[in-house]
Amino acid sequence: MILAGGKQYETSMQSQLLAGLEDRLNATLAGPGLDPETVINAIDALGRRVEAGVFDRQLADLQIDGAEQYKEMAVRLLRRDHLEFKFRTELGADFRRDYTTCPPAGLRPLRVLARPLGVLLHIAAGNADGLPAFSVAEGLATGNINILKLPQADNGLSLSILNAVLEIEPRLADYLYVFDTPSSDVGAIKKMADLSDGIVVWGGETAVAAVRRFAHPGTRLIEWGHRLSFAYLSGSRPDEELKALAEHIVITRQLLCSSCQVIYLDTEDFGQVQAFCDRFWPLLEQAARANRPTTIGAVAELTLRTYTDKLEAILDGGGAKPWSSSLCSLIPKEDSALELSPMFGNVLVKPLPRGRIIPVLRKAKPYLQTAGLGCEAGEREGLLNLLVRAGITRVTHPGSMSESIPGEAHDGAYPLQRYLRMVDVEL
Amino acid sequence: MKYRRKLFRHRDAFDLKGTNELFLKAMRENCTYAYKHCPGYRAILDDAGFAPDRLQTVDDLADLPFLPTALFKRRRLFSVPRWRLPLVVTSSGTSSGKASEIGFTVGDLWAGLKMVLHICKLRHLLSFTPCHYVVFGYQPKHKNRTGVSRTAFGVTLFTPALSRTYALRWKKGAYVLDLGAVQDAIVKHSKSRFPLRFMGFPAYAWFLMKRMEEQNVQVRLPKGSRLMLGGGWKQFYAEQVDKSEFYALAKKVLGLDDKDIIEFYGAVEHPIFYNDCERHHFHIPIYSRVIIRDPVTLKPVPNGTPGLVNLISAMDIGTPLLSVMPDDLGILHDGCSCGCGLDSPWLEILGRVGMQDIKTCAAGASEILNKVEVEL
Repeated sequence: MILAGGKQYETSMQSQLLAGLEDRLNATLAGPGLDPETVINAIDALGRRVEAGVFDRQLADLQIDGAEQYKEMAVRLLRRDHLEFKFRTELGADFRRDYTTCPPAGLRPLRVLARPLGVLLHIAAGNADGLPAFSVAEGLATGNINILKLPQADNGLSLSILNAVLEIEPRLADYLYVFDTPSSDVGAIKKMADLSDGIVVWGGETAVAAVRRFAHPGTRLIEWGHRLSFAYLSGSRPDEELKALAEHIVITRQLLCSSCQVIYLDTEDFGQVQAFCDRFWPLLEQAARANRPTTIGAVAELTLRTYTDKLEAILDGGGAKPWSSSLCSLIPKEDSALELSPMFGNVLVKPLPRGRIIPVLRKAKPYLQTAGLGCEAGEREGLLNLLVRAGITRVTHPGSMSESIPGEAHDGAYPLQRYLRMVDVEL
Repeated sequence: MKYRRKLFRHRDAFDLKGTNELFLKAMRENCTYAYKHCPGYRAILDDAGFAPDRLQTVDDLADLPFLPTALFKRRRLFSVPRWRLPLVVTSSGTSSGKASEIGFTVGDLWAGLKMVLHICKLRHLLSFTPCHYVVFGYQPKHKNRTGVSRTAFGVTLFTPALSRTYALRWKKGAYVLDLGAVQDAIVKHSKSRFPLRFMGFPAYAWFLMKRMEEQNVQVRLPKGSRLMLGGGWKQFYAEQVDKSEFYALAKKVLGLDDKDIIEFYGAVEHPIFYNDCERHHFHIPIYSRVIIRDPVTLKPVPNGTPGLVNLISAMDIGTPLLSVMPDDLGILHDGCSCGCGLDSPWLEILGRVGMQDIKTCAAGASEILNKVEVEL
């Protein structure tokens, strides 16, 4: 399905719609523009619809585990007070008003206008349901015209959310285009890119690299690439903290950028790593049992994996591996490198004495995101500074690595700022 | 392997009821051989307390332990010493980076050839009329042992080949997708007296047709031309290309009717040739049986219920492929629900198990994005 100017079209209409897109965009740009208040009102109303259960059926159709939590989080993020807080944090209290600079020493002042970039192309990833709609909402809130290329794995949720927004606020229709173009249709995507002032790309390195190749060098690229996150534990940690970490690992299935891939221990002694596995294993297994998958695909995968493991063990004639079950596993390793775990409840455990935090993490600097730090209160500031100097952009407690915190930056930047341009006018 | 020989000689390739007894005997014969010659297979059967002579009725097939295709990627299983296998085929690489190796004996290959000849009758694929071929796949190279490149080449032997054009060409040490050259070949061959046949990955056929549509290139291919698609279906799920959209585009840019498009399904770990009927359904041929299993209990479920797909065949001796389970979810439909005239049940593949598909598709898509970009 394609959404253009508030109307839905068949996918086969893509070429025709793309051919007329430039004229439509120009006509919208010639108009008076979009008032942020209009967008905030619409998003707030959308949040109330979500809360009232309008999308419950679709959420259930998604067959995702933990749909309730998704809903709660969405309701929180879509509220007017949260949106206004986000604007204030990222853009300052007065960004909507044009202002005049007061340079020192009698130099000439300038009039400054914060204005939308113009047209944003969103190339969204499919690993988080509803994320494409969220990306577009940020673009709308900053007054941009948005072209969204849906991810292949999208299941219709994004489109129905965006349709609901248009129903609430028909004035947004000219600011929203959604195409279900497959990533392989480079010709069509390039056409969309050529019409855009900025490209927001979510996804893996290859997706980002591909966009860099076809985008014009002058187009602003806003890249939200894949990141790696880890927990860093120093000293003996309380059971509740470890339990929360285990739940985080199981519930996110380690699929998010902020999901824990490696548990680092502040030690050089591999014996301590193994001792930690002994202690952490029952907690992880308990969390995994309490959060078994329920969708047919995930259940079938688990059954098949368990069965394959069983046959493999028969072929090997050996017993089971320690700290390992069909639902989850702990994989102790003697090296310290930050790397992707096998995910789905299979977490790496490695030694990383604090003295080596900088050299080890610098090796992974393009990927660093969240550190879930667990340590004594007196040591927190020191360890935090080391992690930050290594390039970490988020520090949380071990159990809340993937909780979104209102007003936080995204991978070290404020997205709304990147969707605006500052215009200087000589007085 | 006299029962296998008899089964693969049977004239009607979709006469399941008439071959049940023969199929069972061929399975028992093969199972006894694998049990004797493949220690790994024996260990698995012993663990399940299953002896080959337990196969007495068709219903007993459900009790034969099945081997997930993932197991062939992790362990090598052969019933015949490798030096006696004329062909060892590897599956196309997967996201895990591991490929399975499947051995074929001379007898296996003969059986396979007879099967292909029988099944091709269904859609009149064999002909003496020479054809030009466009292969949406790899140009054969000495070291490329993947099953798909062999199938794609093999299909070009159905009729005498006048020419072969490959979409993935070996250039300076790497395969490059060259859709431009393919498009040029199509335009040239569309003026020929002889039909043009396409074979290979559906996703590439789709890119090519989109490219032609964008550049406003439309041809009418000679009568008897065929678009044959197989291998890389997974990319199709990812693209979410609606089949009817695909057919409509083929009509528009190539002038091919729905009936000129033929689809194949198969896997290295289950080398049975599934060829769709006129209504594009994969009916089960006599060389295999399919059981759909409950995703939790692994017990067989009735037709019409989705579950894990268990594919059964006695074709291969080299590797114990008697009963295998790919990472697919599917539904087995009653034959009569198709309406094409065949009463053998048909298999609908719904997609891959788990959530990995989301990730591998993303990875796969960007890989394709990269490849296509080279030629832009």
